[in-house]
Amino acid sequence: MKKRLLATLLAAAMGLSLLTGCGGGSSSGGGSGEAGTVDTSKEVELVMYVISDRPAGQDIVDENLNKLLKEKLNCTLKINWIGWAEYAQKYPLLFSSGEAFDMAYCAGWLGFSNLARRGAFMELDTMLQQYAPDNYALQSETALAQATVDGHLYAVPTLLPTYTTYGAIYRGDIAAEAGITDTIDTFEEVEQYCDYIVANHPEMEAINEYSSGPETSLVWTRSNGLYDIDANLRFLFYDPSAEHPTVTPLYDLEGATDFYKRMKEWCDKGYWSKSALADTDSQKTQNGKAGLTFHNIDTWSGYTVQQPDWDFKYGTMTKDVAHLPFTQDCMVISNTSKNPERALALWNLITTDQEVYDAFYYGIEGTTYELNDQGQFTILDMDLYSTNAMWAARTMELNRNQAGVPEEYDTIREGWEQTIKDGVGTEKFTGFVLDTTNITTEVAACTNAKQQYGWPLELGYTDDVEASIEEYRQAMKAAGIDKVVEECQKQLDAYIESLGQ
Amino acid sequence: MKKEGFFDEFKKNKALFAMAAPAFILVLVMSYFPMSGLILAFKEYRYNLGVFGSPFNGLQNFGYLFSSGTGWLITRNTILYNLLNLITSQLFAVIIAIFITEIHAKYFKKVTQTVILLPYFISWVVVGVFVFSIFNYETGLINSVIQTFGGEKVNFYMMPMAWPVIICAFNAWKWTGYNSVIYIAAVTGVDGEINEAAAIDGATIFQRIRYITLPSIRPTLVTMILLQVGRILRGDFEMFYQIVGNNGQLFNATDVIDTYVFRSLITNPDIGMTAAATFYQSVLCFAIIIDRQHDREEDRRRLRAVLKKEGKKLWQRMTKI
Repeated sequence: MKKRLLATLLAAAMGLSLLTGCGGGSSSGGGSGEAGTVDTSKEVELVMYVISDRPAGQDIVDENLNKLLKEKLNCTLKINWIGWAEYAQKYPLLFSSGEAFDMAYCAGWLGFSNLARRGAFMELDTMLQQYAPDNYALQSETALAQATVDGHLYAVPTLLPTYTTYGAIYRGDIAAEAGITDTIDTFEEVEQYCDYIVANHPEMEAINEYSSGPETSLVWTRSNGLYDIDANLRFLFYDPSAEHPTVTPLYDLEGATDFYKRMKEWCDKGYWSKSALADTDSQKTQNGKAGLTFHNIDTWSGYTVQQPDWDFKYGTMTKDVAHLPFTQDCMVISNTSKNPERALALWNLITTDQEVYDAFYYGIEGTTYELNDQGQFTILDMDLYSTNAMWAARTMELNRNQAGVPEEYDTIREGWEQTIKDGVGTEKFTGFVLDTTNITTEVAACTNAKQQYGWPLELGYTDDVEASIEEYRQAMKAAGIDKVVEECQKQLDAYIESLGQ
Repeated sequence: MKKEGFFDEFKKNKALFAMAAPAFILVLVMSYFPMSGLILAFKEYRYNLGVFGSPFNGLQNFGYLFSSGTGWLITRNTILYNLLNLITSQLFAVIIAIFITEIHAKYFKKVTQTVILLPYFISWVVVGVFVFSIFNYETGLINSVIQTFGGEKVNFYMMPMAWPVIICAFNAWKWTGYNSVIYIAAVTGVDGEINEAAAIDGATIFQRIRYITLPSIRPTLVTMILLQVGRILRGDFEMFYQIVGNNGQLFNATDVIDTYVFRSLITNPDIGMTAAATFYQSVLCFAIIIDRQHDREEDRRRLRAVLKKEGKKLWQRMTKI
């Protein structure tokens, strides 16, 4: 008797958990067959997820936007925000919870290819062209290839190119004080600038280093024309200009020992704190507590708006600039979406109609932003609303510069556009997407070893550089770096071969 | 005589069963159903196939924990830290509880108790900032003091062996007050007449504590320890992460299972691999608890032996530096 009851209970339990566990189910494709435009006779509410902290003014911005969308597409849009503090946990859960929603922001750093391969998104092979024809027309072949995983298109890539450059963001006023007139874009010039800060500005650190890890190795490799195999595997590099590039761990690159020794020198000179990895303040440069940050051009333009008096300057330290993958910012349709057609039609509208774009991205003119005569925008109340966090919606045509961004921002980027040639150097590899399915175990272990041994070494926290490099190398070997290198090399070779065809 | 089955039992005690039902259902729904998710540890999770539809991949998910030899290191660290924290926080809690009950000045007693309890309400994030401003090399409190007196600065972030002490101290600081509340209740529950009688017979205060108070609160102590032992393989993630942060040099001495998993998977999240780590911790915890309850007397002896041995080892490690 007892046993039977137990069995019944267990069966009930299993049944219930099956029900709760499989809530997501599978709803694939759908909506094909109807040619041309979308049927807008029925009003629908679309749900979009973006990553950032929800602004206070979201409700009034929504109201304004929805008035417009109701009229143009007979739909409304609800934007849900996942805050910075919780996105790492919550974002992957979006797709596993089975919640029905339509659109989400995605990016390489959110694990786009990983999620796509695991079936989180709806495939858009024919739908994009069908329901978002204007957007489709603007997409480059490279961009679409990057958004294709295992033969299916899983995302709508951004129409605003971003670049692989890393460089020095530094204070123009201090450089002038130090008598440096040339743009600071070499390690020697950085040294000159930092020496001046250490000697004359004891109140600040020369270089902004903090707990999320150093950027110096990236600057060093980029300035030597090397490129990382994947944004999540920044311990493996290759030379895109070589005919047969070899994937090499950072510490085995030519000149790596000298680089690490130089970093130790910088550390000993006091360019950064000896406890940098415990320091969680990432905004030291904007706040006048550090003199230089290694990062990209968009970070720089942000600084210039925040602190116009300090004359922030940008020195490109990348030998061979290329576009970042267009999936760096992209929009994905969830596989739980009930209205993928309408969602794509909405996306088409946002990315090609200035009026809708402004209402979506900047909010309400006169309330959240205003425009000057050059069409640049100013945020009126940072606490109310700044801009939307759906960065993938930006396009070359519709996007506006923030008022106060120096002209160089455009001239530097135009310069890059001129030097970038399709299929040459680093640009040749922007379509390469690494598939880590076979090496997840090793990648996880190597990521950890890099943090444990690579970061301290890169910040010069060691007494004996060569011994520490050897220790790092052994730890990486134990973590399975050889298998990772082998797999990366195999995929890179296959990519090069596929280009040749 | 007819053997009584479940249904006879049920008929007889309907009211009791009805009273137990809510708790039973709650445990079933909140604790037993979610356990079916543990199956993910053996699967390659796919979003469109769900928990039960995803394909199995054997023990592959466990690989990253052990492939590079870190698995044993972090398991050992987790257990040692928890033992150390268990002993210190309970020990201090008992001492504080006895002190507080012996204090007779009412206001002083209340104020002391409140002050000791306060750290419990401070988040580890804030504690992390404290730690950084106390121990950092350039502007840290300790180094500033050392410098003022003309000494050589100490770089704590390059001294792995200092951190077990620091972490343990902060853990005790945070939990002592909270734990002591329970012991205060136990100590106050001791019959006052026994104490008075002992005092009349000439027992000193220490004798009274040793022979009356401590034996009286022993059941509470054992329960508290047993509760903690069940969690011995769960590192207090927030504490370790906020105090140690990303300082690679300290990891060999400070890494616990939870921080290792977090760091390995933060850039490439994988639900299967995270489930594998939880599964590993749960199975070991389960084994320990079952073992614990098997034979308590035997057990206490064994625990004492283990503590003695580990304590000795730890002492040797500390004194070597």
